[in-house]
Amino acid sequence: MSDFVRFTRRTRLQHGSVLLLFGVLSVTGFPQKLFPGAWTDAIVGLLGGIDRVRLLHRGAGFAFAALCVAHVAATLAELRRPGEVLTMAATRQDVVDALSSLRHELGDGPASRFDRFDYRQKFEYWGLLFGGLLMIGTGFVLLYPTVAARFLGGQLIPAAKAAHSNEGLMAFLVVIVWHMVHVILSPQVFPVDRAIFTGRISTDRMEHEHPLELARARGEDVPPAGPPATVRNLALAIVQSAMFAVVMPALGVVALGDRLWRGRKGARP
Amino acid sequence: VRRLAPALLLLLVATVGADADDAADVNEECLACHADPDLSTTLGDGALQSLTVDPAAYAASKHARRRCTDCHPGFEEQPHPAWDTSSRPAYRATYHELCKRCHPQQHARAEDGVHFRLLAQGDQRAPFCTDCHGVHDIEAPDEPRSRISRTCGRCHTAVAAVYAESVHGRALLGSGDPDVPVCTDCHRPHDIADPSSRAWKLGTPDTCARCHGDPAVAARHGMSPNVIKTYLADFHGMTASLQRRQAGGAPGVATALCVDCHGIHDIVKVDAASSPVVRERLVQTCRKCHGDATDSFPAAWMSHYDPSFERSPLVAGVLFFYRLIIPYIVGGLLLQVGIHAWSLFLARRGSVA
Repeated sequence: MSDFVRFTRRTRLQHGSVLLLFGVLSVTGFPQKLFPGAWTDAIVGLLGGIDRVRLLHRGAGFAFAALCVAHVAATLAELRRPGEVLTMAATRQDVVDALSSLRHELGDGPASRFDRFDYRQKFEYWGLLFGGLLMIGTGFVLLYPTVAARFLGGQLIPAAKAAHSNEGLMAFLVVIVWHMVHVILSPQVFPVDRAIFTGRISTDRMEHEHPLELARARGEDVPPAGPPATVRNLALAIVQSAMFAVVMPALGVVALGDRLWRGRKGARP
Repeated sequence: VRRLAPALLLLLVATVGADADDAADVNEECLACHADPDLSTTLGDGALQSLTVDPAAYAASKHARRRCTDCHPGFEEQPHPAWDTSSRPAYRATYHELCKRCHPQQHARAEDGVHFRLLAQGDQRAPFCTDCHGVHDIEAPDEPRSRISRTCGRCHTAVAAVYAESVHGRALLGSGDPDVPVCTDCHRPHDIADPSSRAWKLGTPDTCARCHGDPAVAARHGMSPNVIKTYLADFHGMTASLQRRQAGGAPGVATALCVDCHGIHDIVKVDAASSPVVRERLVQTCRKCHGDATDSFPAAWMSHYDPSFERSPLVAGVLFFYRLIIPYIVGGLLLQVGIHAWSLFLARRGSVA
C-alpha cells in the first residue's frame, strides 16, 4: 500500500520541539505546583535542586516562546502564497462534524468525512496555541514581576501565578485524556501514530481519517479545506476557533442527550 | 511481699533522709574552709581563681541537697585530687566535665552548639555550662522565663537591647506573657545553631511556625493563624521549602524568609508605624530584593490572606474560572473518549458475533 505524504519536515520539527519542550516544562513545572511530596522531591533532587529546575523551566519557556513566534511568523508569511487556505481554521462545519461523528459512534447516522484536519485535531491545535500564549504571557509576568507590576498593577502577579499553574495542569490533562488517547491508545494507531514523526501515512488510513483530502489529491472535485488565507479570514478564524474550543467539550453531552431523548421517544408506540 | 513493702518504704525514706543529713555533714566539712571569702589559687597563666563557696547561695541553689563530693568526687580526701590549674581554659574544661556526670544529654547537645565550637577554636569568650547556669549558686534557669533572655543578654548586649524593644521583648519583660519567645525558644538552649548558616536561615519559617502556626496562640493574641500556610503557598515560601530540600545547594538563600520582611530581634507589630511591612513602608522592604519595585508592586503580595473576591478579586476570579473550566473541559473530553471507546467495543462485539 502506497504512503501519502502528510506532514512537511518543518511541521514535524515543530511537533518534535513542542513534544520535547512540553515534556521539559511539565517535569520542571509540576514539582513547583504540587510540592511537597515524595515524587516532587525526587524530581527536584534528580535535576540538582530547585534552582536548576527553575533554570531549565525558564530556558524551555523561552524556547517555547521563540517557537510560538516562529510558528506565527511562518503562518503570516504563508498568507501571501497564492491559493493557500486556512486548513486549521475551525468553523461551524467542525461543530456539525463533531456532532455527527459522536452520533455515529452512538449508532446513529453516517460517519463524518474529514478533510486535512478533523475537529479533534483542530481542538488540540487551538487549545495548544491559546493555552501556550497564556502560559508564555503569565510566565513572563512571573519572571519579571516588577516590570509587570509597573505597567499592569501588582495583583496581576498572583493572578498570573494562579493562571499559569492551573492552565499548565489543564494542558497536561488535555494532552493525557485527548492527545495521548488518540495517538497511542486508539486501535487504529496503537502502539503509536507515527505519521507526525515520519511525515507519511498509509492511503488506507487516509481513506478512513481524511477522505476529503485524499479525494482532492486524486484530482476529484472537492471544496477547499478551509477559507482562503487572507488577513481578514485569519482574524475570523481565530475568533471562531476560540469559540469552537469553548463549545467542543460540551458536544459529547449534547450528542448523548440527543441520543437518549430520541431513544426514549422511539421506544414509545 | 505485703509484709516486706512497708519495710522497704521505711528503708527508702530513711535512706533519702540520711542522704540529706549526710549532704549537710559533708558540705559543712567542706565549707569549713571554702566559706572563706579570701580562699583562692593562682592558675598557671597567672590568673587568680577564687575557691570560695557562698554557703547561703549554695543553700538556696538547686543543688542544695547535693553533697559537694557529688560534683567533686574524691575531694573528701586531703590533699584534694589533682585539678588541672595550668591555665584558665584548662580549669574551665575540667569543671564542664563535672556537669556531664549528671546532665549527659544537655552536655552532648551543647557540644553540638555554636558556643562549644567557638570554645574548641580557642575563643574563651564563648560560654559553657557554668557561665550561663552559675557554679555553686545554680538556680532554675527559666524562673521567671525572662531570666533566660537576661542570661543571654549578659554577653549579647546589643541584641538584648533590640529584643527588649521588640513586640516579643516588650510582652515578655512587661507582662511576662507566657506565649512570647525568649531567646532559647528560637535559638534552642544547648545545641544553639549558627544563625548565619543556610540550614538555620531556611528553617526560620518552621521556627516562627511553632507559635504563629498554632491556632491557640493566634486566637489568644488576635493574630491570623494562616500566616505560615499562606507564606508556604506563595512563591517565597515554596522556594524556601524547595531550597531546604536541596542537599548542599548554593550557600546563599535566594528567597524572602519571615525575618527578611518582618525583621529578626527588632520585630514590631505589623501595623506599627516603624514596621517594615506596614503599608506605607512595604515597598521599601520589597526593594531590598526587588530593586526596581515601584509603588504598585506591593499589591502583588496578598498580605498572608487567602485569595478572596473582597481582597484580591482578580486572583479569586482566576481560581474560580479554572475551578469551572478544568472539570468542564477534561470531563467533556473524557465523555467523548468514552463514547468513542463504547462504539469500538460494540463494533468489535458485532464483528465477533
